[in-house]
Amino acid sequence: MSFESVVAQARAEGRTLLTEVEAKSLLQEAGVPVAATLLAKTRDEAQALAEQVGFPVVMKIVSPDIAHKSDVGGVKLNLRDRESVAQAFDDIVANATRAVPGARITGVAVQHMAPQGTEVIVGMTTDPQFGPVLMFGLGGIMVEVLKDVSFRLVPLEEKDAQQMIDEIKGRPVLAGVRGQPPADIEALKRTILKVSEFVQQHPEVKELDLNPVFAYPDGALAVDARIVISEN
Amino acid sequence: MAVPGHRLDRMFNPKVVAVIGDKGPGYMWLHNNLPLKERGGRLYSVQLDEKEIPGIEALGVQNFRSVLDVPEPIDYALVAVPRQVSPYVLKDLIAAGAGGAGFFTSGFAETGEELGIRLQEQLAAMAREAGFNLVGPNCMGLYLPKAGVRFNADAPVTDDGEVGFLSQSGTHGIMFSLVAAANGMYISRCASFGNAIVLDVSDYLEYLMLDDETKVIGMYVEGVKDGRRFFATLKEACRRKPVVVWKGGQTEAGARATMSHTGSLAAPQAVWDGMMRQCGAITTNSLDETIDAMKMLVRARSPRGDGMALLAQTGGQSVSMTDAFAKAGLRVPRFSDSTYAQLGEFFNIVGGSFQNPLDMAGTIQGNMETLDRILRIVDADPNVDGMAMELSAMFAARQWKSKPETLDATIATLAAHIARSEKPFVAVLHPAHEAEYVASIQPKFNAARIPVFQSFERAAGAYRRALDFSRAKA
Repeated sequence: MSFESVVAQARAEGRTLLTEVEAKSLLQEAGVPVAATLLAKTRDEAQALAEQVGFPVVMKIVSPDIAHKSDVGGVKLNLRDRESVAQAFDDIVANATRAVPGARITGVAVQHMAPQGTEVIVGMTTDPQFGPVLMFGLGGIMVEVLKDVSFRLVPLEEKDAQQMIDEIKGRPVLAGVRGQPPADIEALKRTILKVSEFVQQHPEVKELDLNPVFAYPDGALAVDARIVISEN
Repeated sequence: MAVPGHRLDRMFNPKVVAVIGDKGPGYMWLHNNLPLKERGGRLYSVQLDEKEIPGIEALGVQNFRSVLDVPEPIDYALVAVPRQVSPYVLKDLIAAGAGGAGFFTSGFAETGEELGIRLQEQLAAMAREAGFNLVGPNCMGLYLPKAGVRFNADAPVTDDGEVGFLSQSGTHGIMFSLVAAANGMYISRCASFGNAIVLDVSDYLEYLMLDDETKVIGMYVEGVKDGRRFFATLKEACRRKPVVVWKGGQTEAGARATMSHTGSLAAPQAVWDGMMRQCGAITTNSLDETIDAMKMLVRARSPRGDGMALLAQTGGQSVSMTDAFAKAGLRVPRFSDSTYAQLGEFFNIVGGSFQNPLDMAGTIQGNMETLDRILRIVDADPNVDGMAMELSAMFAARQWKSKPETLDATIATLAAHIARSEKPFVAVLHPAHEAEYVASIQPKFNAARIPVFQSFERAAGAYRRALDFSRAKA
């Protein structure tokens, strides 16, 4: 999928929110490490894709009419074999159809369930005066309650990505606390810089969230991705 | 010409200045600009009102009834006419080919009134179409001490300008200029730019960045019109010289105040802070912090590290001084063995200490040779990146008053140290119970170019900011 075709498709459907499959595919092409997420239209496809991405898998409803997937029973975690994948496909579609009658069901996203890492967030918003702004923070309570985040304007240089990571108050968490190994800071920096490049190349992107990104001792992986484009 | 070819160069280096619409009995703007004549420039007045003309001519200023009658090309005009008249004056200034104009006239968009908004839009459209350099409106215009153009009658006229200042607020522009001068720092060029409807902070910043007379740039801003351009210009400016940015409206309540003051919209403070760091700018929160940071930048050497030697006069102060510098994120390291050995040869440790911090009044006992010896030993210590020394008005003022030569000797000793040392040095002179006297001797420190701060915290804050700047550059 090229960026242009995805944007054209979304606009044709009157959407500004890209689907998770679209968002991740664009980010992956741009070199942002994301958990591969593929779209299954049938239960057979779902089984094949689960083998392709590797068990265990996570499956989620893909529908332009459903924003909050978990609320409608549209998410199943930790599926370990073909049988549970087939069952999950049927359940997810049935749940979604029941919860939102008439919802357009594009399919079900199948992704490898990534091992838990230290949760961080990389986000982007558009400031009315300063244009695209990137945000970095630790995931969960640190960002929601403590607002422990740092900001930089796009485009970022390497030192900006480094400072963004270093200046959050929770920085010691990334160095490894309570016996945890340190997070791969270089991989986080690369992720931030790739997002900066992506946003710079595509001014149509108004908002972007990688939440969470799992930081590992070796590498980083965006597990969920959300992209909002401008209306025109 | 300071920046040949730049669109603001003519108005920033004016020879011919016109004051338009000034009024008695004070004739504030003509008085402000009278020094122009002694600096080799020509000052003209434009005023239609017959009853004002005798007062203008009594000042020795030639008056004309129209801008178009002024016999020479106007490099800079200060416009103080009522708002309804301002479009007509602007039209004439454009027709006369003036280099630029500061509009003191207010009552525009900042009032929120329909008439004000419409007049402001009219001025902006006219100036933009003509490529005219409109400063303001709702501002105090330019302060150019070398040319003799001023926005306040107390502002000095001088060739010694070295710091540039840009201010969205007229008061802050004037107050910075006056307080800086009291601290021995003079303005190269200052612009108060108010509503910034044509020229914005980025235009002035670009000029000051290119101007060799401006060594350090300071600014007070409440908001910017073109955020991307400001980002790019500030980043470039910080590569060339230190830029100190004092942001008004950092709190939610403060941001509401900027809205009614200059109609500025504020970005979230955290975004602003991130951008400042990204550009390599030095940020401050008040006039005092801005003065202190700029004083440090123009008077002290660039800090290369955070290891401070703290030279206090007495024990209690040595503790307070250490807390102040440590809270600013600076280290107070142990000296090297060689330093301890050398200080141990003569230091009076009864009631004193030569740890770091030093507690040294009992050792110096007013002897400048001993002070000089201590300064040399500590300066040579490899663990020391910078030095801060307390001067005590509480103990010394009586002697300095009765024997002024003792103050002169102290200043000479410190000035000699600063000249020979490659490390930054800051002095702290708390006014204590002698505020008036301490203020009276400030010019002596200024003349010797010794950076003096009024408290440990202020000295530590200035050092910290200069250190952050040199690290960001490295």
